[in-house]
Amino acid sequence: MKEKVREKIAAFLNQPPASIQDDAILTTLVPESFLLVELVIELQEEFGVRLMQDDLRDVKTVNDLTAVVERNLQAKE
Amino acid sequence: MIDDNDLWILSYYRISEISGALFFGRLARSLKPGPIQHDMTKHFSDEALHAWYWTECIEKLGGKPRKLLEAYQDQYLSAAGMPANLMEVLSLTQVFERRVINQYARHSQVPNLPVEILETLQKIMVDEKWHIQWIGDALRDLVPEFGKEVLEQTMKRYWQADQEVYEKTLQEHEDRIAHLIQKRS
Repeated sequence: MKEKVREKIAAFLNQPPASIQDDAILTTLVPESFLLVELVIELQEEFGVRLMQDDLRDVKTVNDLTAVVERNLQAKE
Repeated sequence: MIDDNDLWILSYYRISEISGALFFGRLARSLKPGPIQHDMTKHFSDEALHAWYWTECIEKLGGKPRKLLEAYQDQYLSAAGMPANLMEVLSLTQVFERRVINQYARHSQVPNLPVEILETLQKIMVDEKWHIQWIGDALRDLVPEFGKEVLEQTMKRYWQADQEVYEKTLQEHEDRIAHLIQKRS
Protein backbone atom coordinates (compact mmCIF):
# COMPACT_ATOMS: atom_id res chain seq x y z
CA MET A 1 0.00 0.00 0.00
CA LYS A 2 2.81 2.36 0.94
CA GLU A 3 4.31 1.96 -2.52
CA LYS A 4 0.96 2.53 -4.23
CA VAL A 5 0.38 5.76 -2.33
CA ARG A 6 3.90 6.91 -3.11
CA GLU A 7 3.36 6.07 -6.80
CA LYS A 8 0.14 8.06 -6.82
CA ILE A 9 1.82 11.06 -5.18
CA ALA A 10 4.69 10.81 -7.67
CA ALA A 11 2.29 10.63 -10.63
CA PHE A 12 0.39 13.62 -9.28
CA LEU A 13 3.61 15.61 -9.02
CA ASN A 14 4.92 14.26 -12.31
CA GLN A 15 8.05 12.94 -10.59
CA PRO A 16 9.65 9.47 -10.40
CA PRO A 17 8.41 7.47 -7.35
CA ALA A 18 11.98 7.05 -6.06
CA SER A 19 12.26 10.81 -5.67
CA ILE A 20 9.42 10.89 -3.12
CA GLN A 21 11.02 10.40 0.29
CA ASP A 22 8.99 9.02 3.22
CA ASP A 23 9.98 11.92 5.43
CA ALA A 24 9.37 14.58 2.78
CA ILE A 25 7.23 17.41 4.12
CA LEU A 26 3.98 17.56 2.15
CA THR A 27 3.75 21.34 2.15
CA THR A 28 7.25 21.46 0.66
CA LEU A 29 6.39 18.87 -2.00
CA VAL A 30 3.08 20.59 -2.76
CA PRO A 31 3.48 24.23 -1.72
CA GLU A 32 0.13 25.37 -3.08
CA SER A 33 -2.69 24.58 -0.61
CA PHE A 34 -5.29 23.98 -3.32
CA LEU A 35 -3.06 21.41 -5.00
CA LEU A 36 -2.68 19.62 -1.68
CA VAL A 37 -6.48 19.48 -1.33
CA GLU A 38 -6.63 18.03 -4.84
CA LEU A 39 -3.96 15.42 -4.06
CA VAL A 40 -5.78 14.27 -0.91
CA ILE A 41 -9.08 13.98 -2.79
CA GLU A 42 -7.39 12.13 -5.64
CA LEU A 43 -5.95 9.60 -3.15
CA GLN A 44 -9.44 9.03 -1.74
CA GLU A 45 -10.90 8.52 -5.21
CA GLU A 46 -8.08 6.12 -6.08
CA PHE A 47 -8.14 3.99 -2.92
CA GLY A 48 -11.85 4.28 -2.08
CA VAL A 49 -11.28 5.72 1.40
CA ARG A 50 -12.83 8.74 3.07
CA LEU A 51 -10.62 11.19 4.98
CA MET A 52 -11.89 14.03 7.17
CA GLN A 53 -10.19 17.29 8.08
CA ASP A 54 -9.53 15.91 11.59
CA ASP A 55 -7.68 12.91 10.09
CA LEU A 56 -5.16 15.29 8.54
CA ARG A 57 -4.59 17.46 11.60
CA ASP A 58 -1.24 15.86 12.46
CA VAL A 59 -0.22 14.85 8.94
CA LYS A 60 3.06 16.50 7.99
CA THR A 61 5.02 14.01 5.86
CA VAL A 62 4.44 11.55 3.03
CA ASN A 63 4.72 8.78 5.62
CA ASP A 64 2.01 10.37 7.78
CA LEU A 65 -0.34 10.65 4.81
CA THR A 66 0.32 7.06 3.75
CA ALA A 67 -0.39 5.88 7.30
CA VAL A 68 -3.73 7.72 7.39
CA VAL A 69 -4.79 6.19 4.06
CA GLU A 70 -3.73 2.72 5.30
CA ARG A 71 -5.61 3.12 8.60
CA ASN A 72 -8.76 4.16 6.76
CA LEU A 73 -8.48 1.23 4.37
CA GLN A 74 -8.06 -1.21 7.27
CA ALA A 75 -11.02 0.29 9.12
CA LYS A 76 -13.12 -0.15 5.99
CA GLU A 77 -12.21 -3.85 5.57
CA MET B 1 -10.51 56.26 -16.67
CA ILE B 2 -10.98 53.70 -13.90
CA ASP B 3 -9.85 54.89 -10.47
CA ASP B 4 -7.54 53.01 -8.14
CA ASN B 5 -10.32 51.80 -5.86
CA ASP B 6 -12.41 50.35 -8.68
CA LEU B 7 -9.34 48.78 -10.22
CA TRP B 8 -8.38 47.07 -6.94
CA ILE B 9 -11.90 45.66 -6.40
CA LEU B 10 -12.39 44.45 -9.97
CA SER B 11 -8.89 42.93 -10.03
CA TYR B 12 -9.68 41.15 -6.75
CA TYR B 13 -12.89 39.72 -8.25
CA ARG B 14 -10.92 38.69 -11.31
CA ILE B 15 -8.16 36.84 -9.46
CA SER B 16 -10.73 35.12 -7.24
CA GLU B 17 -12.66 33.90 -10.30
CA ILE B 18 -9.40 32.66 -11.87
CA SER B 19 -8.49 30.79 -8.67
CA GLY B 20 -11.97 29.23 -8.52
CA ALA B 21 -11.82 28.12 -12.15
CA LEU B 22 -8.38 26.54 -11.72
CA PHE B 23 -9.26 24.75 -8.47
CA PHE B 24 -12.59 23.33 -9.64
CA GLY B 25 -11.18 22.51 -13.05
CA ARG B 26 -8.45 20.38 -11.50
CA LEU B 27 -10.83 18.88 -8.96
CA ALA B 28 -13.33 17.94 -11.69
CA ARG B 29 -10.49 16.10 -13.40
CA SER B 30 -9.79 14.09 -10.22
CA LEU B 31 -13.40 13.03 -9.62
CA LYS B 32 -15.08 9.98 -11.06
CA PRO B 33 -17.75 10.80 -13.66
CA GLY B 34 -21.17 11.41 -12.11
CA PRO B 35 -23.64 14.19 -11.26
CA ILE B 36 -21.17 16.11 -9.05
CA GLN B 37 -18.46 16.05 -11.69
CA HIS B 38 -21.06 17.12 -14.27
CA ASP B 39 -22.13 20.22 -12.31
CA MET B 40 -18.57 21.01 -11.21
CA THR B 41 -17.56 21.13 -14.88
CA LYS B 42 -20.21 23.81 -15.50
CA HIS B 43 -19.12 25.60 -12.30
CA PHE B 44 -15.48 25.92 -13.34
CA SER B 45 -16.40 26.96 -16.87
CA ASP B 46 -18.60 29.72 -15.34
CA GLU B 47 -15.75 30.92 -13.14
CA ALA B 48 -13.36 31.03 -16.10
CA LEU B 49 -15.93 33.04 -18.05
CA HIS B 50 -16.40 35.41 -15.08
CA ALA B 51 -12.64 36.02 -15.02
CA TRP B 52 -12.90 36.95 -18.68
CA TYR B 53 -15.89 39.25 -17.98
CA TRP B 54 -13.84 41.12 -15.36
CA THR B 55 -10.81 41.34 -17.64
CA GLU B 56 -12.99 42.75 -20.41
CA CYS B 57 -14.79 45.11 -18.03
CA ILE B 58 -11.53 46.56 -16.65
CA GLU B 59 -10.21 47.07 -20.17
CA LYS B 60 -13.46 48.73 -21.35
CA LEU B 61 -13.06 51.16 -18.45
CA GLY B 62 -9.59 52.01 -19.70
CA GLY B 63 -7.57 50.02 -17.14
CA LYS B 64 -5.32 47.00 -16.98
CA PRO B 65 -6.03 44.22 -14.44
CA ARG B 66 -3.81 44.51 -11.41
CA LYS B 67 -1.82 41.44 -10.39
CA LEU B 68 -2.92 40.56 -6.87
CA LEU B 69 -1.29 37.80 -4.88
CA GLU B 70 -4.25 36.62 -2.80
CA ALA B 71 -7.77 35.68 -3.80
CA TYR B 72 -10.83 35.23 -1.57
CA GLN B 73 -10.24 31.49 -1.55
CA ASP B 74 -6.72 31.72 -0.08
CA GLN B 75 -8.07 33.60 2.90
CA TYR B 76 -10.78 31.00 3.47
CA LEU B 77 -8.31 28.13 3.35
CA SER B 78 -6.07 29.88 5.80
CA ALA B 79 -8.93 30.47 8.28
CA ALA B 80 -10.84 27.20 7.87
CA GLY B 81 -7.94 24.78 7.42
CA MET B 82 -7.55 22.40 4.54
CA PRO B 83 -10.75 20.56 3.55
CA ALA B 84 -10.01 16.87 3.20
CA ASN B 85 -12.88 15.48 1.15
CA LEU B 86 -15.50 16.47 -1.37
CA MET B 87 -18.16 17.19 1.26
CA GLU B 88 -15.82 19.56 3.09
CA VAL B 89 -14.76 21.26 -0.16
CA LEU B 90 -18.40 21.75 -1.18
CA SER B 91 -19.41 23.01 2.28
CA LEU B 92 -16.61 25.56 2.29
CA THR B 93 -17.50 26.59 -1.27
CA GLN B 94 -21.16 27.01 -0.32
CA VAL B 95 -20.22 29.40 2.50
CA PHE B 96 -17.78 31.22 0.24
CA GLU B 97 -20.23 31.55 -2.69
CA ARG B 98 -22.85 33.08 -0.39
CA ARG B 99 -20.34 35.66 0.76
CA VAL B 100 -19.38 36.42 -2.86
CA ILE B 101 -22.96 36.90 -3.99
CA ASN B 102 -23.59 39.24 -1.05
CA GLN B 103 -20.51 41.26 -1.96
CA TYR B 104 -21.59 41.45 -5.61
CA ALA B 105 -25.13 42.45 -4.63
CA ARG B 106 -23.77 45.17 -2.33
CA HIS B 107 -21.47 46.41 -5.08
CA SER B 108 -24.35 46.57 -7.56
CA GLN B 109 -26.16 48.96 -5.16
CA VAL B 110 -23.41 51.59 -5.46
CA PRO B 111 -25.08 54.72 -6.93
CA ASN B 112 -24.08 55.81 -10.44
CA LEU B 113 -22.06 52.66 -11.00
CA PRO B 114 -20.53 52.52 -14.51
CA VAL B 115 -22.84 50.45 -16.70
CA GLU B 116 -19.98 48.06 -17.61
CA ILE B 117 -19.54 47.11 -13.93
CA LEU B 118 -23.28 46.86 -13.22
CA GLU B 119 -23.93 44.60 -16.22
CA THR B 120 -20.98 42.37 -15.32
CA LEU B 121 -22.14 42.04 -11.69
CA GLN B 122 -25.68 41.20 -12.82
CA LYS B 123 -24.52 38.59 -15.34
CA ILE B 124 -22.29 36.89 -12.77
CA MET B 125 -24.90 36.90 -10.00
CA VAL B 126 -27.23 34.78 -12.16
CA ASP B 127 -24.53 32.09 -12.35
CA GLU B 128 -23.59 32.43 -8.67
CA LYS B 129 -27.20 31.68 -7.66
CA TRP B 130 -27.00 28.45 -9.64
CA HIS B 131 -23.67 27.60 -7.95
CA ILE B 132 -25.31 27.85 -4.53
CA GLN B 133 -28.19 25.71 -5.76
CA TRP B 134 -26.15 22.88 -7.27
CA ILE B 135 -23.80 22.70 -4.30
CA GLY B 136 -26.79 22.60 -1.91
CA ASP B 137 -28.25 19.71 -3.95
CA ALA B 138 -24.89 17.89 -4.01
CA LEU B 139 -24.50 18.26 -0.24
CA ARG B 140 -27.99 16.82 0.31
CA ASP B 141 -26.99 13.86 -1.85
CA LEU B 142 -23.90 13.35 0.36
CA VAL B 143 -25.95 13.13 3.60
CA PRO B 144 -26.28 9.31 3.47
CA GLU B 145 -22.48 8.96 3.17
CA PHE B 146 -21.43 11.45 5.88
CA GLY B 147 -24.50 11.83 8.09
CA LYS B 148 -26.60 14.94 8.69
CA GLU B 149 -24.86 15.80 11.93
CA VAL B 150 -21.34 15.76 10.44
CA LEU B 151 -22.52 17.88 7.55
CA GLU B 152 -24.15 20.43 9.85
CA GLN B 153 -21.06 20.60 12.07
CA THR B 154 -18.87 21.13 9.00
CA MET B 155 -21.07 23.96 7.74
CA LYS B 156 -21.07 25.55 11.19
CA ARG B 157 -17.27 25.41 11.33
CA TYR B 158 -17.00 27.06 7.93
CA TRP B 159 -19.53 29.78 8.79
CA GLN B 160 -17.30 30.62 11.76
CA ALA B 161 -14.27 30.73 9.44
CA ASP B 162 -16.24 32.99 7.09
CA GLN B 163 -16.83 35.45 9.93
CA GLU B 164 -13.14 35.35 10.79
CA VAL B 165 -12.11 36.00 7.17
CA TYR B 166 -14.65 38.75 6.88
CA GLU B 167 -13.56 40.48 10.06
CA LYS B 168 -9.86 40.17 9.30
CA THR B 169 -9.48 40.70 5.60
CA LEU B 170 -12.67 41.21 3.64
CA GLN B 171 -13.19 44.37 5.64
CA GLU B 172 -10.81 46.01 3.16
CA HIS B 173 -13.21 45.08 0.36
CA GLU B 174 -16.12 46.42 2.39
CA ASP B 175 -14.27 49.69 3.09
CA ARG B 176 -13.55 50.16 -0.59
CA ILE B 177 -17.23 49.59 -1.48
CA ALA B 178 -18.22 52.09 1.22
CA HIS B 179 -15.79 54.55 -0.31
CA LEU B 180 -17.40 54.06 -3.74
CA ILE B 181 -20.88 54.64 -2.31
CA GLN B 182 -19.69 57.82 -0.62
CA LYS B 183 -17.93 59.05 -3.75
CA ARG B 184 -20.80 58.38 -6.14
CA SER B 185 -23.75 59.45 -3.95
